[in-house]
Amino acid sequence: MYKYDAIDQTLVNQRVTQFRDQVIRRLDGTLPEEEFRPLRLQNGLYHQRHAYMLRVAIPYGLLSSEQLRTLANIANKYDRGYGHFTTRQNIQYNWVELEETPNILADLAKVQMHAIQTSGNCIRNITSDPFAGVAGDEYVDPRPVCELLRQWSTLHPEFAHLPRKFKFAINGAKEDRTVLLCHDVGIELKKNPQGELIADIYAGGGMGRTPILGQLIKQALPWQLLPSYLTALLRVYNRFGRRDNLYKARIKILVKALGPEEFARQVEGEWIHIAKGDDNFIQSEWDRVAQYFTKPDYKDLPAISNDELNSKFAAELNANERIAFTRWLERNIRTHQVSGYASVILSLKPHGTAAPGDATAVQMSAIADLADQYSFSELRVTHEQNLVLADVEQTELLNLWRAAKKQNLVIPNIGLLTDLIACPGGDFCSLANAKSLPIAKAIQERFDDLDYLHDLGDISLNISGCINSCGHHHVGNIGVLGVDKDGEEWYQITLGGDQGFDAAIGKVIGPSFYADEIPDVITNIINTYVAQRNIDESFIETYRRLGVTPFKEAAYLHAKKKSKTEAIGPEGIAS
Amino acid sequence: MSQENPNLISSHKDILHFPKGGKPNLRPNEWQTWTGEQDEGGLPDLEHGAHKVLAPFHWWIQHHKEQDILACAKNGQIGIWFAADDDILKHADLIEEGKILWSIVAAHFPLFRDGRSFSTAALLRDRFGWDKEIRAIGDVLIDQLLQGARVGFDSFELRHDQNPGVALKQFDLYTVTMQNSWRDKRSLLKV
Repeated sequence: MYKYDAIDQTLVNQRVTQFRDQVIRRLDGTLPEEEFRPLRLQNGLYHQRHAYMLRVAIPYGLLSSEQLRTLANIANKYDRGYGHFTTRQNIQYNWVELEETPNILADLAKVQMHAIQTSGNCIRNITSDPFAGVAGDEYVDPRPVCELLRQWSTLHPEFAHLPRKFKFAINGAKEDRTVLLCHDVGIELKKNPQGELIADIYAGGGMGRTPILGQLIKQALPWQLLPSYLTALLRVYNRFGRRDNLYKARIKILVKALGPEEFARQVEGEWIHIAKGDDNFIQSEWDRVAQYFTKPDYKDLPAISNDELNSKFAAELNANERIAFTRWLERNIRTHQVSGYASVILSLKPHGTAAPGDATAVQMSAIADLADQYSFSELRVTHEQNLVLADVEQTELLNLWRAAKKQNLVIPNIGLLTDLIACPGGDFCSLANAKSLPIAKAIQERFDDLDYLHDLGDISLNISGCINSCGHHHVGNIGVLGVDKDGEEWYQITLGGDQGFDAAIGKVIGPSFYADEIPDVITNIINTYVAQRNIDESFIETYRRLGVTPFKEAAYLHAKKKSKTEAIGPEGIAS
Repeated sequence: MSQENPNLISSHKDILHFPKGGKPNLRPNEWQTWTGEQDEGGLPDLEHGAHKVLAPFHWWIQHHKEQDILACAKNGQIGIWFAADDDILKHADLIEEGKILWSIVAAHFPLFRDGRSFSTAALLRDRFGWDKEIRAIGDVLIDQLLQGARVGFDSFELRHDQNPGVALKQFDLYTVTMQNSWRDKRSLLKV
């Protein structure tokens, strides 16, 4: 993975010094909270329900084992012994002290990490494919472009105070694993017939109060021109994005108001003046950055099928272990570009015993050791809030499974109902209208039968505690949204959402439910699927074939209240 | 100073200057920023004996053909300030003419976290090649100075409660940058 040069390191160190001074001015009262707020947010520091929360950037989801150990140490030293991996591939600490944050940032800087632009109305951490560089369906390894754009966007002076937050996603594979179309800008990398790297640009996607899928506004942009094109795009947004209404300030509203064609025209009109300027990427910079994303030192190994692996390890496993290991191979392993290797997803979704995406310091340290032992000392974070060991020799899978099992990381539920996405919700977040975590726990406990979960197959269930949609409920096959009505917590259900290039925004099925009704509602929806599905038909396929009606009728079968108008909370500063 | 004068939006004693290639310093202010209200024709006499006025761009759009105004401009008495929602690209011809007529331009921050004027300054430097002073006015706080200095501002009318001593120390916080900007090129390692 990328290693800082002296310039990167100097910048991050100086950012710590700058923030330390800002904290001192805050504490001595010369910097009022109202004016400190955007400054701390631009350095990932929120003020939450109980304490400050620090969001640390994991650029495009890539981590070294050394970095993960530092994250574990920070959890122990400054927090309560755990961290929360987020849907934006970052990590959050929920219990930090303002006075200590400069020291945390200094600790992070020592391992080439930071919290720069993990919040605030600026360009945020870039989301990318957690299987970059190893995925079998990859056209282009997106990581060099991710890193070049990370650098380009870091402390960009013109775009430090945009109308609202601004998120990039970058994908280079046949399948989209970044929720590309729900980002302010989605960059799809590909190669043209001449073999040159080009990018298609989607703009104006987003979730929140007004979920919209991004629109294609530029095709076949040569990679070198990304900085000038993005400058033009951001300049149009910075100048004309709405600032009168917080809820209408995202670029999606501007693109929608102008129409994608007109927005694209305005960007072109700006770009024409700067396209040939000296802001573009140059080959030598590519070469400097790309050298860190070459293939690791793979061995020459034969490919092994799952069946072969099962028979190979059968003698070493007892009957129960055999079932568990087989399921794990089926759900938590992804094919690799290189024969004899596989990518392993460590599930951070135990059934009801920890919040989705939470990892303890002990787990983080153990995972760092696993990365050292089995996967070239690297890890990735997925937007589904799990961790990935990308380069594991297939013959080591059993050893890895045994070691990871000790840390409760091998539950074979990836892509299944209990692999649900959830934001921290009302237990922590001061923006939330309702709690997310108890709902997640109740659903995981209700569907604790792995046989049944495997029979249900692929299904995504995403929970957000407010309309900011950090839990990506809009793109869950089943979405659960916490809403507030007269001080009571209610939950609205959406169906039919999906991610990937077939991304779809789920539709609200009707009035919302009480928290304690949700497990029954989900059960009724799932039962409808089971009763109506064709052979090998997934939940979303059945839903698309039948439409919402049978699911809706089932959901309201035992609803306590048949009508309820929702009050949807404000869109504040969210992830 | 005339805080009471409704025609003024500011009249600062000192201005923080940070010339390109130079050192940051405080210098006495020569310019008074006029709101454009109470337009009685001609250039207003805001303070007795002070004749250098930063006037709003919308006023210039209205009056730029008037001979007495042009005479004041040629005499170095007129600077123009842009509101955050002024679309300078729409008035490219006036800006081009202004390059000869105006002694200074300014861009206004209605609120410190409103970043539109960063783009205004960048466009004035990059697109129009404006090479005289660009001043940041309005809600100008210490922690915006670095960004402002990079996109094209070279003077800052700090909000009254800001500590100029702390402000002067902001500009050398970073010795490296990740982007080309008006002030400096992206840092590259010497090979």
